[in-house]
Amino acid sequence: MLSEALIQRLTATPLFAVALTLAAYLIAMAILKRLGRPPWLPAILLATLTLTGALVLTGIDYTTYQDGARWLTVLLGPATVALGMPLYQQIPRIRQLWRPLAICLPVSASLAVVYALGIAWLMGASGEVITSLAAKSVTAPIAMGITRQLGGNVSLLLGALLVTGVAAIAFVSLVARLMNITDERLIGFALGVNGHALGTVRAFEIGPTAGAFASLGMSLTGIFTALLLPLAWRLVG
Amino acid sequence: MPALNGFLWLLLCWLAGELIVHFTGMPISSGGIGMLLLCAALALRGRVPASIAAAAQPLIALLAMLIMPGATGVFFMIDQLAGQWTAILTGLIAGTLLSVITTLWLLQRLMQDDHAE
Repeated sequence: MLSEALIQRLTATPLFAVALTLAAYLIAMAILKRLGRPPWLPAILLATLTLTGALVLTGIDYTTYQDGARWLTVLLGPATVALGMPLYQQIPRIRQLWRPLAICLPVSASLAVVYALGIAWLMGASGEVITSLAAKSVTAPIAMGITRQLGGNVSLLLGALLVTGVAAIAFVSLVARLMNITDERLIGFALGVNGHALGTVRAFEIGPTAGAFASLGMSLTGIFTALLLPLAWRLVG
Repeated sequence: MPALNGFLWLLLCWLAGELIVHFTGMPISSGGIGMLLLCAALALRGRVPASIAAAAQPLIALLAMLIMPGATGVFFMIDQLAGQWTAILTGLIAGTLLSVITTLWLLQRLMQDDHAE
């Protein structure tokens, strides 16, 4: 724990929060490299735990930290736009399979929302919680934009993304084995649609075809949900 | 510096997204629109200019770090959401299982139909 006066001095500029973020991220990456990048431990989960530990140890308030870290998180806007580049590069693959994908994507992306929210609602989750979980299958930068628009809690959403990503990786390999599915295109697409960036990283470990279809599924789910979820929300709510 | 040039293009796409959201009042995230605008612009040019790649690639590689500060917040709201954690976790995990089954089953059927024609 640092003294109150020292904390005030350090957090007077955003530099401390930026340095803390970079340090926690790089330490987590170094640990992951040493562990051989196990698939059950996504980089973001370990980095988040490292940062949480650092905040608890130094005694810095989360909201104070968050204000300073805004200097980094503001880059999420252009980073979301940057996802347009891999999307453009996948246009030839989209053309090849456009018909099955055009039917499967809206159904899967909508049901992913309906299933999770339906179960949480039946189990008595509050309105704010349900709003925060709505974008749980969408890649984080887009999901954060959607959640802000709906009025949900962004931190809870990001926690939901972690759980969803890890669950999707486990369930896709399990269900594919039970259904005797070995087509990399299918497995990759399912990983991207349901497991956003975490699933996509896993798909690239399976193979380049799975990876390409996962990033395709991830981008399309992001676009579809960003365009339709806020509209649907307005109609339902 | 080509990356700076590319970064300006990314910012312009994002700002164009903000303008579209502001003037149409559509409840859509401006980042999502900016992404579509960038994709459309690249499709019109027919290739990815080196400056765009130089700005976009490092940003995409750093996504995990940019998301980290926000994700950390969930550990500081454990008390705030007391009593709802079972509903949240069951919804997420069981919901993901159901949607994974749906995607795999549906896409497998659709791809068979597509090949049969």
